[in-house]
Amino acid sequence: MKVLAVLDNPKYIPDIHGFLEKAGFSESTLYAVSNFDIPDGFDKVIRVDDVSSDVLVRMGDELDGFDIYIAPHTKKSLEALSYYAGYRGIPIATEIIDYIVEEKKIVRNILSGRGIVSYRVATPIALTIAPGKFKGSISRTPEVIHNDVKPTPSLISIEEKSFGGVDIENAEVVVGVGRGFRDKDDLNIAFELAKILGGEVGCSRPIAADYHWLDEDRWIGISGKKVRGKLYIAIGVSGAPQHIMAANDTRVIVAVNKDKNAPIFEYADYGVVADLYKFIPIFIDKLKRRLDV
Amino acid sequence: MDIGVIVKAALDVNVLRSEADGRISIENIPLVLSEYDRNAIYEASKISESTGGKVYIYSLLTWGPMDRKMRDFENVIREALALGGEEAFVVADKSIHYSEPMFTSEVLSRLIKKFGSPKLILSGEASTDMTSSTVAPYLAAKLNYNIVTYVKEMSLKNGYIEVLRDADEKLERLKIPLPSVVSVTGEINSPKLPTLIQIRRAFRKPLHRLELSDIDLSPVFSRYEDYRVVTIKRKNILLEDESLENVADKLIDHLIQEGVLKI
Repeated sequence: MKVLAVLDNPKYIPDIHGFLEKAGFSESTLYAVSNFDIPDGFDKVIRVDDVSSDVLVRMGDELDGFDIYIAPHTKKSLEALSYYAGYRGIPIATEIIDYIVEEKKIVRNILSGRGIVSYRVATPIALTIAPGKFKGSISRTPEVIHNDVKPTPSLISIEEKSFGGVDIENAEVVVGVGRGFRDKDDLNIAFELAKILGGEVGCSRPIAADYHWLDEDRWIGISGKKVRGKLYIAIGVSGAPQHIMAANDTRVIVAVNKDKNAPIFEYADYGVVADLYKFIPIFIDKLKRRLDV
Repeated sequence: MDIGVIVKAALDVNVLRSEADGRISIENIPLVLSEYDRNAIYEASKISESTGGKVYIYSLLTWGPMDRKMRDFENVIREALALGGEEAFVVADKSIHYSEPMFTSEVLSRLIKKFGSPKLILSGEASTDMTSSTVAPYLAAKLNYNIVTYVKEMSLKNGYIEVLRDADEKLERLKIPLPSVVSVTGEINSPKLPTLIQIRRAFRKPLHRLELSDIDLSPVFSRYEDYRVVTIKRKNILLEDESLENVADKLIDHLIQEGVLKI
């Protein structure tokens, strides 16, 4: 087997290695195309300026002949890999969350996380791997070559996202806020609760996209961030499917909502039907006393 | 300048139907306009208002059986026309029960080449049912157009477009020559609901319904994969008590027991 990894962020190399190990391809010939230096883990690294758009197609037949083309499910790697797959006529399966070893099947979510599909694939195949689902490490010292190929879109500038470096995707505890909050200032109680629990504050789509009360790096959703820590407390969040899918890998989910028919309760381990303005201050108070903070 | 928008009649994720054995019964789930397609149509109509030109809607009925899905599919296309499309070219074929991204983009590329051939094609960043996010790049490759995805701001310049694209940890401002396929995020605009007049007018706009043979493709006789509902083992324990103080205590007890809270 020959495997080509397409990488735009070093963070996800363990995810790629993890998938290859689980699927039994850790002995394969491993090449990578990346826009950063990789000192370990591949037989050969083709270092380019940027991984996006048509860059792989512009590299010509250098990339022909691999059995598996694999990338993390990040926006730029996905774009570059699927454009390449479309050009070569290679089928693609995206956001793989698991591999069933006995049946040799890949698994992905559908229907906003409410459904699941597993199937066998034939090579050549292109795959993108959902972050945080596989972990592995393969050690190889790569031969590095540089290629000055560039994608057709030309970069005018890079802009920072408007956030203060919050990383809710790796937080063990996340307190989620939704439209149950009436005012931006009221979110303070959520921040206080998160602080007591040593966690971060996340939010539903309207809070970030419509009201702009919080930055988008706190938005929990399929187009936003996915949380997968040990505890998620959803406060005043109704529970749109896209939100639930992005929180569902959390071990324990608590929902606080005054509407007892809110869909979030179906997906919660513990539900509190109450006005958040009454309940959360009491909850904070009790926590403070029992945690002695 | 003419603009094309590819839209999907997606399975309504809010109305999941399944059999006792956990199999999702696709044939019983209604179809709705995929969420971010609204943003794509709205953006296309905004651009065409300022530059002139037509907004074409292209679509393929990707879910069968056709006789069960046709009414929903037509409603979705009418909605797309009400939101700003002016003429629609759609394929519905009895042989398709499920169309994978590769085939979908083949159909769309043929439709686009045959009818209108706009040099700018917009799509939503992902469909709400399958979320593969691959049809736009596949289509671009097949049309030999440029590609940029996850665009949250765009403006049309002379012969090129300038976009602000989401690159996960940062944003990139890019210049892309036309022809190009652009996928947009939900943040690019806030589409207005169509007015009654727009909805009524949509019924008079041309909607061309075609079969695979009309674009020189053979029937595919595809079938569904085995889709299963995700069984989430949540405890669903409602904590109830007259006193919220007691509820708070109970909740803390449970969280300690779960090992997610340490006293």
